Amino acid sequence: MSPAPDMALIGSMLQFIGVFVSFSVAYVALKGVKHTESMSLMRLGLAFAFLGFGFLVESIVGLGQLIPRLSITATDVVVGGLLLETTGYFFLAFSHAVDVVMSKRMGAALLILPVMSLSGPDLANILSILSFYFVMYGVVETFYSYTRTRKPDTLFIAMGLALLGVGTFFQWLSLVYQYVAILSLLQIIPQVMGLTILFTPVLRFAVGGVKVDGPI
Amino acid sequence: MAQYRTQVRIIADVLSTARDMNVEGTGVGVTALLRRGNLSYTRMSKLLSELVGSGLLVELTGEKISKYMISEKGVQFLAAYHSFDDFAQSFGLRL
Repeated sequence: MSPAPDMALIGSMLQFIGVFVSFSVAYVALKGVKHTESMSLMRLGLAFAFLGFGFLVESIVGLGQLIPRLSITATDVVVGGLLLETTGYFFLAFSHAVDVVMSKRMGAALLILPVMSLSGPDLANILSILSFYFVMYGVVETFYSYTRTRKPDTLFIAMGLALLGVGTFFQWLSLVYQYVAILSLLQIIPQVMGLTILFTPVLRFAVGGVKVDGPI
Repeated sequence: MAQYRTQVRIIADVLSTARDMNVEGTGVGVTALLRRGNLSYTRMSKLLSELVGSGLLVELTGEKISKYMISEKGVQFLAAYHSFDDFAQSFGLRL
């Protein structure tokens, strides 16, 4: 069952906030790549670029539901959006995995995927639960990083990622229990709250500003 | 346990040393850079030529030895490095 039109509109508007925040984070990270040639920033930038495109596809699908004649009901488009999102979360998790190797320490491993068995054969469900695991891995590693650096920003970002994780969990639930319309809104609210928190370092960066002649 | 350093981090370490140890304004010798940079002589020599070539360090050639001083571009690079490092650290990552 599709969500009610009002809910779809609110959902789409909130998704657009996600698009803006994701592309902002990607922009700063990729600007950092230009100046420092850092692969960590490259992976972070790619993660948020994919997330931005994923949210964009989802928000367009949501808006399409408001105009019956233009309704985008193609499952392929929805799955495409989810695939972009999952790829984004994968790059986020991968960034942390590489960081674990570089710092020669034991990473927090999520070895078992028990919820996967509940997802069934549907590709959208599988992508959704994979996103959940990737983002939770990011939460654990970011929190671990906070215990080393004691940097309040890092704790803040871990909380933002945790909210994104809650959002992806509700996303999975909304795919499993499609008749519960409120689940799609419950998915978007924590996701947008989480992404808004992730916007903090971008704001700080924008306020601080960086001036350098060009790449090294 | 010691950590792997990325190339950009090594560059930032060398530039920081060249900036911090240049108290008299006469530049910093290779020995001091080697001690603080934790690199082999061969690798440090190659890196120093690259940094001088890219304008991040200035080479002050003396009668016997060369000394190095951070340039204005190097100072800008370090500031940018710290900003982006701060950004990456917020996400629990290192440059």
